[in-house]
Amino acid sequence: MKLAGRMILDKTFTTLTALSVLLLSVILLVVLGPMIYRGSGAVIFRGTVEFRKMQMGLFERGDAEALDAEIAQAQEVRDAVYRQIDEFRQGIDTEELNEKARKIHREFGGELRSNGITGDEYSELRSLTKDIRDKLEEASESQDKALIRRNIEDVLEHQDDDRLKGTLAAGFFPLAANFSKAVENADLAKLSQYTEAIEQVEDILRQLFGPKPGEPTPALARMRYGATRCDQAQILLGKLLWIEKWVQTEPGKPLEKIKTPRSEQFAGTPLESLPGFVEKNLAKMLRPRLTFYWQYFIDDSYNSHYFGGVGPEILGTLLITVLGMLFAIPLGLVSAAYLVECASDNLAVKIIRMCINSLAGVPSIVFGLFGLAFFVLYLLPTFGLPSQGCILAASLTLAILTLPVMIRASEEAIRSVPQTYKEASLALGASRFRTFVTVTLPAALPGILTGIILSLSRIAGETAPILFTGAVALGPVPKSVFQPTRTLSYGSYDMAVGDRVAMMVPHNQYGMVVTLVVLILLLNGMAIMLRGRVFKKLQGR
Amino acid sequence: MTPYSATQQGAEQLTSLPRIIARRQEQAGAHDKTPRPRPQAIVNSEGFSLYYGDKAGVKDITMDIYPRSVTAIIGPSGCGKSTFLRSINRMNDLIPHVRAEGRLAVNGQDVYDKRVNLVNLRQEVGMVFQKPNPFPKSIFDNVAYGPKLQGVKNKSELQQIVEESLKAAVLWEEVRDDLKKSALAFSGGQQQRLCIARALATKPQILLMDEPCSALDPVATGRIEDLIGQLKAKYTIVIVTHNMQQAARVSDMAAFFCLGELIEYDTTSKIFSNPSKKATEDYVTGRFG
Repeated sequence: MKLAGRMILDKTFTTLTALSVLLLSVILLVVLGPMIYRGSGAVIFRGTVEFRKMQMGLFERGDAEALDAEIAQAQEVRDAVYRQIDEFRQGIDTEELNEKARKIHREFGGELRSNGITGDEYSELRSLTKDIRDKLEEASESQDKALIRRNIEDVLEHQDDDRLKGTLAAGFFPLAANFSKAVENADLAKLSQYTEAIEQVEDILRQLFGPKPGEPTPALARMRYGATRCDQAQILLGKLLWIEKWVQTEPGKPLEKIKTPRSEQFAGTPLESLPGFVEKNLAKMLRPRLTFYWQYFIDDSYNSHYFGGVGPEILGTLLITVLGMLFAIPLGLVSAAYLVECASDNLAVKIIRMCINSLAGVPSIVFGLFGLAFFVLYLLPTFGLPSQGCILAASLTLAILTLPVMIRASEEAIRSVPQTYKEASLALGASRFRTFVTVTLPAALPGILTGIILSLSRIAGETAPILFTGAVALGPVPKSVFQPTRTLSYGSYDMAVGDRVAMMVPHNQYGMVVTLVVLILLLNGMAIMLRGRVFKKLQGR
Repeated sequence: MTPYSATQQGAEQLTSLPRIIARRQEQAGAHDKTPRPRPQAIVNSEGFSLYYGDKAGVKDITMDIYPRSVTAIIGPSGCGKSTFLRSINRMNDLIPHVRAEGRLAVNGQDVYDKRVNLVNLRQEVGMVFQKPNPFPKSIFDNVAYGPKLQGVKNKSELQQIVEESLKAAVLWEEVRDDLKKSALAFSGGQQQRLCIARALATKPQILLMDEPCSALDPVATGRIEDLIGQLKAKYTIVIVTHNMQQAARVSDMAAFFCLGELIEYDTTSKIFSNPSKKATEDYVTGRFG
């Protein structure tokens, strides 16, 4: 009976522990999975012709001839869209219509005179064009569809008039035709609203396809190209197809999102079919293709990470981390060696040890402020250097941050080296220093490497300590350690909280975070492999 | 010889102290019937005491250790055997608050003199510890450690010293092809012989052994004892042991320590067959300790 109870307890314990491990892995998957999925989208995605155009324009990468051919093919389909819009806009723009009609009438007189037509024929033609002009004007200002139709028909009757053929007055007829096409089925009361709606459509199209051909090249790089990625294009297409509005349906209720199809906005007009046309031909206009953008890890970025990669960030992170470790490792080792080998167990040493232990728990922002006050504001000016955040100050701050971890790990490692090793070395006549360097240190190396791994992961991902001491969100690639740098950790932070442009490209945000995680894993992997080799060598296998 | 029969033989040897004594007396008689004149002592202790703080580790030890002989120090646990042994090459310095009184001289030089060069002293007085403690390095690096400390840098010279030392420790044949292998990959007995080789590589005059066989099986113990017998021809050996049979088998002189004091010091055969003190007799016959 007792045995059975114990076995049940044993089984329960096993199950519980297994469950907790399972739970942990599920949580890890749930948290990391989507992040990695989205982050990998920065490197592997369906890139459009705009992406290739951007790569050529900003990085001079790709096959120029093939790209030109591709752009031309895409442009053909896009032009159809632009043409539809232009025609409709001209059709509904009554002011422009009137002005054009008046201009034609005015200039037609000049043309007639220069052609040597005078007398009755002149006045007859003048009154004819005046009549056409007035009819057009009347139609454009009218809300009565019957009147409009009648007037337009009257105007178009003169289309076959030989006297007007080949003259400026022939310009009346396309105007009239455009107008009639535009307003044929349209709601005339809405005519003034169409202008605004078209502007919205054009704005979306500009985001999709970049600036219209003929428009000046925008100064900002991100305005120069359309949707570079298929997922972006899909979102923009959604905006084109649907109008989203936040509406309060009932008083006191929260706002509700209501989607209406954009084609409704253009009901009855030739543009009604435009969104559908774009949706159907999007692939032809953007030519998406699966792209592996490995240059993401070396490219500089444009317009706060709207385009480009995280090259400078990776470089900065590596620089700061490696430099920080270069400061932290010797300092930590020497301190640990002193605490184990030299210090007697008196009050001062106890206080030092307590301080080290408490320092390990101090929030990192405190170290950041310390670094700002000590390195940036005091030490750098003392040595005649500009008092600005720089790689040196940041790595020194990180070194101080990680020193407690380093010291404690090394201390444990050195302490756990068997006394017999030291005795053997001393008995052979080695000095204490020699013993430490040639026997204790190599034997403690696996433990020390564990400390290094812990420190490395910590400082590679720290943001707060470098916030004021050397990290910037944007800026050139540093040329010396006395310049600030961009880092992955600070970049991720800045993109998440401060940068509105970056918020438009979430894949880059996730990409940066995932890059950071992968970088730390890589660094750790290297250190772990090194530790494994050292350990194997020590064990004689 | 199979390990089993070797173990059996070892066990037989261990249980028959009187027989060992008798055999050794025979051997001694066969070689040299007239007692030799005692040579000059190499370690000379006069009223030597060592204190850990206020507590005395050893008190008022006066004894001479003679060159090219094996001196065994026996006694119950905590009697100061190891303390005395470690005083000879000042390994006790590692313990805080150690204080020495009296005189303890090696080759006429007081080792507790302030001017003494510890490095030279320890290279002259090598030590082998209770547990085999090779460094976690290769065989070669282990043996070459001492010579490197002495400033030997020449590769071929080091090679030669390593080979000589390993041969002297009867390990060469077993490891000659594995010099680059880590010492930790070898058996306990091999490791202990490696430690002896390492100690020999600095070319000491005296070899201190602190219970060198207590962590080994009888076969390995037998080998080490044979080795001690061979090394005696060139080195002065001081061995601390709990195993009286071992002391009887390997040593020429024996010292019995009790409660930090030297009770009796004489030739091994006298200590084991005809001790002059009651405490010694009780101890070697197993009535005490």
